[in-house]
Amino acid sequence: MWVGLEAEEYDREFRDRALLKRIFEYFTPYRKYMIIVITLLILSSLSNAFVPLITSISINILAVNPSLVNFIILIGLIFILNILTYVFNYFRYIYAAKAIGNVTLDLRESATKSVLEHDLSFFDKNPVGKIVSRINTDSRDFAQTVDLTVEVASNFIVMIILIILLFIINTILTLAILIMIPIFFLIALIYRRFARKMTLYGQRALATVNAFVKETFTGIQIAKTFRQEPKLYDQFHDVNTQSYKVNLRRALILNAIFPTLSIIQGIVLTIIVYYGGNFLILGTFNAGEFNFFFQSLSFLFFPLLTIASFWPQFQSGLAASERIFSIIDTPPIVVQNDNIIPAKLRGEIEFKNLIFQYDDSKRVFDNFSLKIHPGETIALVGHTGAGKSSIANLIARFYEFQGGDILVDGISIRNYDLKKYREQIGLIPQTPFLWSDTVENNISYGCSSVTCDDVTAALDRTGGSNWVNSLSEGLQTNVGERGALLSMGQRQLVVFARVLLQDPSILILDEATASVDPFTETKIQDAMEKTMEGRTSIVIAHRLWTVRHVNRIIVLDHGRIVEEGSHDDLMKQGGKYAQLYDTYFRHQSLKYIEEMGVPKTV
Amino acid sequence: MPKTANFKEMSQILEFSPGKDHFEKARKKGVTRWIFSHIFFGTNKIFIFSVLITTVVTSILASFISVSIGNAVNQFINANAASLISYTILILILGLTTPILRLLNYFLREVLAQRLERDTRKEFYGILLGKSQSFHDKQQIGDLMARATDDVRMLNFMISPAVSLIFESFTSLVIPVIFILLFYPVQLVIEPLIFTGLFLISLRRYNRKLGPVTGDLRMNFGMINASLNEALSGIEVVKGSTQEAHELDKYLSFAKKYRDAYVRQGRIQAKYMPVLFLGLLITIGLAHTLILFNLGFVTIGQIISYLGLLDLLYFSTFISIFVFATIKLAGSSAKRLLELMNAVTEIDENPKGIHKDILGSIRFENVSFYYPGTTNYVIRNITFEVKPGQTVAIVGTTGSGKTTLTKLISRLYDVTEGEILVDDHDIRDYALKSLRSQISYIEQDVFLFSFSVFENISFGRISSKQKVIEAAKQAQADEFIKRLPEGYDSKIGERGVLLSGGERQRIAIARAFLTDPKILILDDSTSAIDSNTEDKIQYAIKNILHNRTTFLITHRLSQIRWADLIIVLKDGKIEAKGSHQELLRSSEEYRKIFVKKFDLDEQELLEGGVV
Repeated sequence: MWVGLEAEEYDREFRDRALLKRIFEYFTPYRKYMIIVITLLILSSLSNAFVPLITSISINILAVNPSLVNFIILIGLIFILNILTYVFNYFRYIYAAKAIGNVTLDLRESATKSVLEHDLSFFDKNPVGKIVSRINTDSRDFAQTVDLTVEVASNFIVMIILIILLFIINTILTLAILIMIPIFFLIALIYRRFARKMTLYGQRALATVNAFVKETFTGIQIAKTFRQEPKLYDQFHDVNTQSYKVNLRRALILNAIFPTLSIIQGIVLTIIVYYGGNFLILGTFNAGEFNFFFQSLSFLFFPLLTIASFWPQFQSGLAASERIFSIIDTPPIVVQNDNIIPAKLRGEIEFKNLIFQYDDSKRVFDNFSLKIHPGETIALVGHTGAGKSSIANLIARFYEFQGGDILVDGISIRNYDLKKYREQIGLIPQTPFLWSDTVENNISYGCSSVTCDDVTAALDRTGGSNWVNSLSEGLQTNVGERGALLSMGQRQLVVFARVLLQDPSILILDEATASVDPFTETKIQDAMEKTMEGRTSIVIAHRLWTVRHVNRIIVLDHGRIVEEGSHDDLMKQGGKYAQLYDTYFRHQSLKYIEEMGVPKTV
Repeated sequence: MPKTANFKEMSQILEFSPGKDHFEKARKKGVTRWIFSHIFFGTNKIFIFSVLITTVVTSILASFISVSIGNAVNQFINANAASLISYTILILILGLTTPILRLLNYFLREVLAQRLERDTRKEFYGILLGKSQSFHDKQQIGDLMARATDDVRMLNFMISPAVSLIFESFTSLVIPVIFILLFYPVQLVIEPLIFTGLFLISLRRYNRKLGPVTGDLRMNFGMINASLNEALSGIEVVKGSTQEAHELDKYLSFAKKYRDAYVRQGRIQAKYMPVLFLGLLITIGLAHTLILFNLGFVTIGQIISYLGLLDLLYFSTFISIFVFATIKLAGSSAKRLLELMNAVTEIDENPKGIHKDILGSIRFENVSFYYPGTTNYVIRNITFEVKPGQTVAIVGTTGSGKTTLTKLISRLYDVTEGEILVDDHDIRDYALKSLRSQISYIEQDVFLFSFSVFENISFGRISSKQKVIEAAKQAQADEFIKRLPEGYDSKIGERGVLLSGGERQRIAIARAFLTDPKILILDDSTSAIDSNTEDKIQYAIKNILHNRTTFLITHRLSQIRWADLIIVLKDGKIEAKGSHQELLRSSEEYRKIFVKKFDLDEQELLEGGVV
């Protein structure tokens, strides 16, 4: 409504020319549409601009020499011009929509494709919401800008034609109209600055009110328990009134632009009346010409306003496209040296003098070496930042290491075909992620040819599929966003089943830390045991039971292996592991639970 | 026996009233009455009438400019040099006054619009604040916020620009017509009238066609957002299962639908006919006036001014397009607001019921319950007995009915079947306020207001800092509070300190020490990663258990182990109940927990040797 005067600023990196060139490339497949659009644009502008001209000529001729022939020709001509303008514009809108719609789709496709291929460091730097907004919303804004550009071009051409015609008829009066143009631009620019500032204040004030309301209702139970309603209401009243004042001011300032520009228009009209009137009196001007100027003035108002506020909107559209391009352009970090398709891996993993750090932070691994045998179960323990998750991330090739190598079955993981390699790695994250799809589809995700029975069998292997029967539609029940309709335990079981179905050679499991009820905990423990059977398993351990039952515990400290062995051996050593036990596992022990029976009051 | 509720009493019991409610009657009479009651409330009357008047006057002035120009041209053609200055001044005055008046018009409508937003928000907030806890428990915060923000905002947009633009479009159609009737041969009114008719018809058809397509566009946009959001949130799974191509296809199928809707929208927008109609009718008008001119009924100046008046009609062709959509949206927004404000809750507050100091014995007798509006029992045939001061551990998977069971104790909902007795009285016989003031509930995700730690703990009750610190110490919270930048005065929340789940829980426990309820319900689902924090949470909970009947919804084996009574829920029914020893003997699943977790020998366990 405020003709884009309040558009946000964005620091641009690309230069206009380079950006335009790239945008142009996206339009190339739709060359034909664009040529039609441009042609129609020019034609419709011509026919549009000629309407007031012929009208004025008609007045002159038909007032003086009203022959039927002239009448029919001139009026008929205006009729035809009106219809032509409509028809040209009609097709112009349609072809423009086709071109813009398709370019937007292409942009979205490129961006999404590119994003899906990026490695995980990209997602560390860019929150999902921001990426989605860039791909979907920025592309939509971009489309609007292109639309606007076409509209402005049309207005611009009409304006030029009219001005040329006006100029031919009477130079002085035309100059009066031309003065309007820079003043319009100037005022639009000044208003833009105010508009943006005021809009920001208004938004902030409104956000404050909304935050207050949200807080009240989120904590309403407490508010009511302690009878705090009057106090909250008073505070609300203040914030609400404040928002009212700020937003009223903002609305008033934004509303002032039309009238201001209308005043300019009024002044110019006066000038036309004065000088034009003078010429009329002197006889150097006739009624038709006067009418032409009068009509052109109102003809030009809206188009001029659109053009004047065009620049900032155009810039904001370019900024939107730049944001999309920046997503497409980020180079993937994962290095591929070859594309060997692995046979069923045995699951032997070797870290050889590994050097790794995440982007700009400090080194996680420096000359790290570890060898894991096929089918071995390893528990990784250590404080946060010791390198536990990094090992998992590197094996899965979510991040790229900087030095040394990681070998699986003797071959560097950089040499395997990435997708085929990943198919043999099973990942179970701390928080299970489910799609808002059926239970069955969640379990069979990634396996193309899989039957219902396979799915049920996989569930059975996790410890039982009976719980599915208690759902409203069994396996076909939609689990909701992120699996919200299932309990935490059920979600975990689904993920275990998914991995069992995948049957990977290497399993990486990040144990959940969130607590579940003891019954489900037992079930999950069972499922975990079954899932780890028969494959190399690397567990980031948080459960006491886990560390007590793996083949080998690796104790990490700042990227170095400080101890390794079984739970009992390491406890006897009384070193780093014993410390970690005391911090992370002690409260899970039987001893602790028994001791808790003694009441304690400070 | 539940008392039959008196409807009148029920609906008018508000727990809080923000002062005189001017809109109470209007709210009950429907959307239109309610909106109008706001528009005409108090001094708003003056503003709406002023908006109307200024709109009309502005339109008159604009038309007058056209007429004056026409007259001026007549004079100038007849070489009347004397009139040049006077006409110039006239046009200057008109040309300046019109925009200034328009500015005033905008000013007035903005005040009205902002007032409407401010006042309806205040009304909504105040009414909802006064509604009972039972009402609030049924609300989803996201939905509530959408109404409080977006729907209220819509009402603002309804006045500005929607309603005012309708005024303007109306006057810019009517006023020129009146001028034509006054200053021109009556027959010249045919053209604008025909245009108005055609305009209204085609506008209606246009809106009807555009509506569904715009809805499609919006829906598809929502879909591309949702699907991309989901795929990227689960990017690890996508990559782990190498499903990148599959996700891309899924996204594209929606993106293509969006493009198709976009093209369809373009097609409909291209067809917008009113501009063509106006152009043709102006041409006819031109022909008409030229004929009349040659017959001597109009002057040259009148031709020009007539065309000028017709040009004024262009305004409505451009503006009306989105106006009606806004009004419709505003209507449905108002409906949503009223819906919530008019809602009535079923719980009878029973102010004349029992007021007494509770000892804390609780009995569930064959209690069954399903949520109002559904038919699935959430809990069934629950029977158990708790003595004052005992600790009950409620265990079960999510959805087994644990939280629901505890909600029934404080009468957030009434049981569907059976009875709940506190101190041998049915809880429905108590005065609700008295009952609730002696029951405290510490929820799973503790919410703290963005006040100071001190205020959150004392929350309007006791102001002695000594007592607050004492409570915090018992809740094992004093230690971390002291370490905050401003200690007990530190503000909590986004603009203050961010606390972990466990820390929030302990602050809530501290608060409970001060309120000292006879019955405490603690929904404990925090899990500590390190044993130190675990120690603190354990001690805090153990401290608060003293001298009150406590329901602990917990996963912690240590609390389950030492509870006076353990209730195991499965699918809403009691699967097992009793002390730890009793359950070890009677429930295989319960036994299995300890056997599996600690690698215990089942026999030894049963003989009571190990745990």
